[in-house]
Amino acid sequence: MKLFSYVLNFLIPLLYLALVYVYYTLFSGKKKRLLKKTTPMLILLILIHLTEIITRHLVLNTMPLSTTHDAFSFLAFAILLVYAIIELSLNNRASGIFILAFAFLISLIASFFPSWESETNELLLKSSFALHASMAIIGYTALSLSAIYALMYIIQNRNMKKLKFGLMFTQLPALNYLETMSIRSVLIGIILLGLGILHGHFQAKELLGEFWPVDIKVIVMDIVWLVYFCSYLLMRLKKWGGLWMAYLSLSGFFILVVGGILTIYITESFHKFY
Amino acid sequence: MENQAQIFIIGISHTTAPVEIREQVALNTDEQKELIGVLLQQFEIDGCMVISTCNRTEVYISSEDFNNKTEGIRNRLNTFKNCNHFTNPQYAYFLQGTEAIKHFFKVISGMDSLIIGETQITSQVKECYNLAHKVNGTDTWLNKLINYGLQAEKKVRSETFLNNGAVSISYAGVELARKLFNKLETKSALLIGAGETGELAARHFADKGVKNIHIVNRTLKKAVDLAKKFGGNAHPLEELAEILPKVDIVISATSSDTFVVTKQIMQTVVKQRQNTPLFLIDLAIPRDIDPQISSLNGIFLYNIDNLHQIVQMNIEKRKSEIPKSIKIIDNFVVEFYKWISTNSIAYYIIKIRNHFEKLRQAELKRLKKRLPENGFGEIDYLTQSIVNKIIHQHIVSLKNSVGDPTRYQQHIDFVNNLYQLEEKK
Repeated sequence: MKLFSYVLNFLIPLLYLALVYVYYTLFSGKKKRLLKKTTPMLILLILIHLTEIITRHLVLNTMPLSTTHDAFSFLAFAILLVYAIIELSLNNRASGIFILAFAFLISLIASFFPSWESETNELLLKSSFALHASMAIIGYTALSLSAIYALMYIIQNRNMKKLKFGLMFTQLPALNYLETMSIRSVLIGIILLGLGILHGHFQAKELLGEFWPVDIKVIVMDIVWLVYFCSYLLMRLKKWGGLWMAYLSLSGFFILVVGGILTIYITESFHKFY
Repeated sequence: MENQAQIFIIGISHTTAPVEIREQVALNTDEQKELIGVLLQQFEIDGCMVISTCNRTEVYISSEDFNNKTEGIRNRLNTFKNCNHFTNPQYAYFLQGTEAIKHFFKVISGMDSLIIGETQITSQVKECYNLAHKVNGTDTWLNKLINYGLQAEKKVRSETFLNNGAVSISYAGVELARKLFNKLETKSALLIGAGETGELAARHFADKGVKNIHIVNRTLKKAVDLAKKFGGNAHPLEELAEILPKVDIVISATSSDTFVVTKQIMQTVVKQRQNTPLFLIDLAIPRDIDPQISSLNGIFLYNIDNLHQIVQMNIEKRKSEIPKSIKIIDNFVVEFYKWISTNSIAYYIIKIRNHFEKLRQAELKRLKKRLPENGFGEIDYLTQSIVNKIIHQHIVSLKNSVGDPTRYQQHIDFVNNLYQLEEKK
């Protein structure tokens, strides 16, 4: 079982890369006949990745999101899943190359942390941790997607303003679609990450006796969430345009990634409570 | 079923003849019906179909023997249209066999059209086929040809980008707008000027679902008349600044010498719109919209050159898809030949069998008197068995060559020469 999981750990980034290549060929307008084959490929990868998540859960006999590998792996999986839903519901594959390339990077990061030791922290062993972690990860997924849509918005806006009618212009979706998707994803991200953070605080209060534990990850996430929340409110109140919102979303995501990477290096585990 | 039938085409198209010639040889539906009847009756052909569009007039004929009929048919076509273009090698072309089939597949897929990849030709060919079918002009070969042609066309459209992208200036505007708004149905448009150019562009937007169309013109009456066509609202030019904040798409095509939409007007409009994007296309020369406004936030302005750039890009893209489309079509030509060959095999097998059976019967008849009566049945069985074995070799060999039209034809020719099958027919 462990060997099987180990093989999957290295195989999954390769499969993501292969899928990215398929979407690249579609994006470059080389093989139109691949259009009908992407959905089965997506479903297959979802099933393989799900197998990896379940296998690790069975091997480690612990919550599936308790290690750095599991958290990143689940994030990649969630992005893949959300993208599959978008593709199936909107029948639009133009954003696939961007979103799946990002999912590939996340899965690659996950494969660099093939930890086989489950977390022993009491907090992480609680079953309610799964709820907190799931909400937070889905929140991250939504914010990641928002940033990808924002990036596509910036590119397409530039194409349209600077009259660059090349491949990118042809393949990328309409500006207002990208704007809507980016804003919608931000909203979902703010709500779910907010609920996840709140749930985490209540758990800390219950187990550690303090609502605001001294944990670098908690502090960073609270700040990031606040930045997103305030930006969203300002955007709504001031009626900022799509370009402004796109830059804000990208900046927020940059802080989120940098904050996440910093906490991984500063702390020895997913959370470090002193 | 007819055997050894060949398909051949006599045609005049935009690739060989100018419009003055094409219009002389064009056939309306009544003429098509009449011509099919005349050719079927006069030339003992198996099938006939006429494709007549503004870019081509082509007569498709299926017949076992065409070598001594083509000149007669061409002359008859000349008489029918009272011209001499069908015998003029400068304008008319004659295609047969693989060339004819490939040409038809290219025509039906839009590859031979004036605007590469246009989709209208497919329905035009279908209509012509239905007409020929109605007057009993089509035979098995033409029926199968259209069948394979439609399959080829479907595959070309689904697997290549041959028909993607706008190839007219006015439609390129719609394509650009759809890169800003994914749903045009919820958007409103403003047409500045009530001329033909603007109307054509506005028509494309209306066709794509833009419902709320405003028309602004210096002469209000013209705006009112045009507004009636679109079910929109007419306004005098003085109201332009009031309408601009309310619309999403602006099409301008006036004959004004100065800018109709100035930067000053647009600065106020942008403030009022609160970052809502505005899409503008300026089809006028000299331009109606100050190009400086494109630097304003949320403003997307395009002129006729920009639209032309998109059209050129799309045409180039379509052209680049031709090799891919040709590959698909070549496969269908092979498939069609396989079908023809499979059907012809049965014909040749019967011919070969008859040939050997006659030989066998003749030899048996000759030897019957010299053979003992009680052993004749066994000799009959033996000769039958030998003939079957010889024929079996031919069947295997013919079937193996089905996928390769050249090899198949060589084989048929060889068999024909060896056993003199055609002469005996």
